[in-house]
Amino acid sequence: MAAKSYDNPELDQKLKDTYYRLGDSNPEFSKNILETSRTLANMCYQCGTCTGSCPSAPRSSYRIRKFMRRNVFGLEDEALTDPDLWLCTTCYSCSDRCPRDIAPTDVIMAMRNMAFKRDIIPKNFLMTVKLIYDSGHGVPNNDANRDARARLGLDRDPPTTHTYTEYMQGIRKIIDSCDLKANADRILGE
Amino acid sequence: MHEFALFLGCIAPNRYPGCEAAAIKTSEKLGIKLLPLKGASCCPAPGAFGSIDLKVWYAMAARNLCLAEEMGKDIALVCNGCYKSIFEVNHILKHDEKLRNGVNEVLKEIDMEYKGSIDVFHLAELLYDERFCGVRKIRDSVTTPLKGAKIACHYGCHLTKPAKERVFKSKELLNTECPTWFEELVEATGATAVEYRNKMQCCGAGGGVRGYDIVHALDITNEKLINITEVEADAITEVCPFCQLQFDRGQIEIEEKFGDRYGIPVLHYCELLGLAQGMSPQDLALDLHAIDCTPFLEKVL
Repeated sequence: MAAKSYDNPELDQKLKDTYYRLGDSNPEFSKNILETSRTLANMCYQCGTCTGSCPSAPRSSYRIRKFMRRNVFGLEDEALTDPDLWLCTTCYSCSDRCPRDIAPTDVIMAMRNMAFKRDIIPKNFLMTVKLIYDSGHGVPNNDANRDARARLGLDRDPPTTHTYTEYMQGIRKIIDSCDLKANADRILGE
Repeated sequence: MHEFALFLGCIAPNRYPGCEAAAIKTSEKLGIKLLPLKGASCCPAPGAFGSIDLKVWYAMAARNLCLAEEMGKDIALVCNGCYKSIFEVNHILKHDEKLRNGVNEVLKEIDMEYKGSIDVFHLAELLYDERFCGVRKIRDSVTTPLKGAKIACHYGCHLTKPAKERVFKSKELLNTECPTWFEELVEATGATAVEYRNKMQCCGAGGGVRGYDIVHALDITNEKLINITEVEADAITEVCPFCQLQFDRGQIEIEEKFGDRYGIPVLHYCELLGLAQGMSPQDLALDLHAIDCTPFLEKVL
């Protein structure tokens, strides 16, 4: 299967440019990645075990090794604006096999966190925040399921925030502590 | 009787309630009592939620851990995704004082404090571990052996990977390249576990990819289904309701999008064990599954 195209000539052009220019580099980016990912990402020696272990690699242009390199070079814009950033299924096969004991998956997670700070985030991630903010569950209950639960002798709603709604206030406070819901609403509204 | 707080997560109670019912009933027969963890929320989803803000992910998972700490019970859970959030955040916060203090600052606002006083287990881990149950005890509990059924085991990712960040007592669980502990659990039900190509591959759903690019996610699922069909498995079993959703509903979506039809039933290990312990398909709400389980049930019951 051919690598996926995003039908975006500007992006294609940008990704075609393989030159490294000092001005493109932001050393703070690598430092932030190190702190958020809690893994020694700068130790990567580009062996490619990560990409070789990746279930997303054979069916897309996503290359985890490329993101690891971008981290070492501090190529913030290139890493955070590449749509492939969101194709990691977080299976941790790369992290399991990395001969340098790095967790490339956690580098991706850190990059995604930083992308969100720049309002770069696919909608479905924000929808999950909204659902959890509303009900405590990323996948909430529904009526067909309530009937099935009753047939099984279970309570119609599980003994979670669905039943004990008094816990919702605390959950909302935690999510609001970083303005997550407000930012999600703002980005979704734009 | 070993007692645990049962952390339900989302998909088991809200999409496959048979999985919740089976976990409680089958465990009780094996000397493991699962008590409700009142007020628990989404773990929250390690990929979909963690990708946005890991600090909030830590705090939300810690709130769930606090509820169990207040009960004074260790947590047992039935989903690999939940395991990633609940086990890993517990493990990280126990060992990282700076992060723990940061999380407790947030939790202080809601009058809670993470102490690090409990442990987190996946039910599959408890079932395999002889200190709590063990394969022999499972075999002895079986009243309706699932004879003649060929079952493909899907291990999922977040229970055992990355092994360097796991602390299982059973060393077998630290083998992430070619483990066989799940097959042992399946064979204890009387069924035959079959090996297939690249069995440790991901289901494709995680990391928010199912929501971001469903065709991409399904293409990964499809590869697994091709490999599972190759060995003529009658059913797939897993220990993760999100993988279950991806394989079960995913087969319908794969037929719509790619035209490939498989019709392989997908059962959580607890549901499989429930059948083997004499629970009826109605007790397990197998009718809620997208893929019809009838041909499989006719073969084994």
